[in-house]
Amino acid sequence: MIDVSTGPLGTELEALASTLRQSVVEVRTRGTGAGSGIIWSADGLIVTNAHVARTEHATIVLWDGRELDGVVTAHDPRRDLATIAIDPGSVTLVAATVGHPTDLRTGDVVVALGHPWGVTGSIALGIVHAVETRRGAPRWIRADIRLAPGNSGGPLTDARGRVVGVNTLIAGGLGVAVPATTVSRFLEQVQARRTRSTSRAA
Amino acid sequence: MAGPSTTTPPTGGVLESLSNDLAGAVDRAGQSVVAIQARRRIPASGVHWRPGIIVAAHHTIQREEDITISLADGTTVAATLAGRDPSTDLAVLKVDDAKVPVASLADGSAIRVGALVLALGRPGIAVTASLGVISTVGGEWRTWHGGTIDRFVRLDLSIYDGFSGGPLVDASGRVLGINTSGLSRGAALAIPGSTVNRVVDQLVKTGRVARGYLGLGMQAVRLPAALVEKLSLPNDVGLMVVSAEPGGPGDTAGILIGDVLIAIADKPVGDPADVMSLLGGDQIGKPLSTGIIRGGEPKTVSITIGERPREPRDARDPRAGRRGR
Repeated sequence: MIDVSTGPLGTELEALASTLRQSVVEVRTRGTGAGSGIIWSADGLIVTNAHVARTEHATIVLWDGRELDGVVTAHDPRRDLATIAIDPGSVTLVAATVGHPTDLRTGDVVVALGHPWGVTGSIALGIVHAVETRRGAPRWIRADIRLAPGNSGGPLTDARGRVVGVNTLIAGGLGVAVPATTVSRFLEQVQARRTRSTSRAA
Repeated sequence: MAGPSTTTPPTGGVLESLSNDLAGAVDRAGQSVVAIQARRRIPASGVHWRPGIIVAAHHTIQREEDITISLADGTTVAATLAGRDPSTDLAVLKVDDAKVPVASLADGSAIRVGALVLALGRPGIAVTASLGVISTVGGEWRTWHGGTIDRFVRLDLSIYDGFSGGPLVDASGRVLGINTSGLSRGAALAIPGSTVNRVVDQLVKTGRVARGYLGLGMQAVRLPAALVEKLSLPNDVGLMVVSAEPGGPGDTAGILIGDVLIAIADKPVGDPADVMSLLGGDQIGKPLSTGIIRGGEPKTVSITIGERPREPRDARDPRAGRRGR
């Protein structure tokens, strides 16, 4: 009998999914339903879409089903990005590896992981359709991939499982992701603002 | 800001090499993919098929003049319409100055069910892509406009807006055919390279693909059992004439609306496709012995097959633009 699941492509995709799944959370808020989030750093920083984290508090469900209380710490509707802080306590969080959206070429394989239609840890495979740039920097990653609303806030990764974007919307059948470079810039600004307000308070 | 990570993605895996292959295929094949400005909406795609010859999807060419083409090297050149064939949804444009490579054509044997394929388009400046597989390969078939396509190639992939006229390529970037959503109510189909070559030859030579024409609109109808018995007909279906182009071959031969065609060249007909199959370009000018029923009585009429007018109405049918991408 031929065992198709152990072909090299399938095995690798399974490994990528099970690794990535540990860094993807479900974000539950009152009213807006569930979206996805990415564990950006192991100290409890979650990145998601602003349209997923519309309330001050959110319940974060880890890949193994454990639930943690989250506080929305930054919210940028223009970029559609938000951060949620969780206190991991004794839980060891696995941060996602961040990739380089600037290296993406049309045709490159991409993987999305999220919770479409409330199904947890669902994976989708596709390719880069186009990387839209502005002043040389990636602005949107358009992917030929089948996404659903619950994918919002979840990762789009390259073929090695490195996060290149945050899945944000579906337009004309294409998945549209905010590039990881935009996330980094957003996090730097959040950090700078926090430093400023802390020093003012001092 | 990214914190410590316990994940170290492997390099050099099959997924990464697939990624490199696909991106390489897009890059190579994308060199010959062009954007065509010949409609009000977003540009359509085309392929630099032979030096100076661009192949496009007929339904996306909505004007015959002021057509410009944007090439992979960023230049924009003027193009002239060499001809179009609505029956296969193909059009050929000529450009003087295309300094981009022509498409590298794959062997027809590469068209196999399950083959991993990319559809490419250039509905703007950059080349864009979608990934899928060939889901069906069948034999020769006839389009609803009467064109003959060498093989039926259905795709499991997305034909995005502006993708019609773009190439279907294999994982190494060789062109298998031209994609269109205009032949099958929006479903993704590919016109195989062999058919494209044949149509290009004809369009470059004469500017058109000649097709026989009766100028009749027909609809299959069931015949009353009594009539079938009375006339000892082999078939209980016929084709009722619902329209006749004034001055067309059928009208000239005396066919009237309401006549029911039951046989052509002594063969029973029960589907308009039966008639279409007898109207190849080589039949133009030849008489067609047509058995009809008029007022309950059988009758034989000889129709001289004409040539389909050069600009069929469907070329300007606004619905065609909505249906196709």
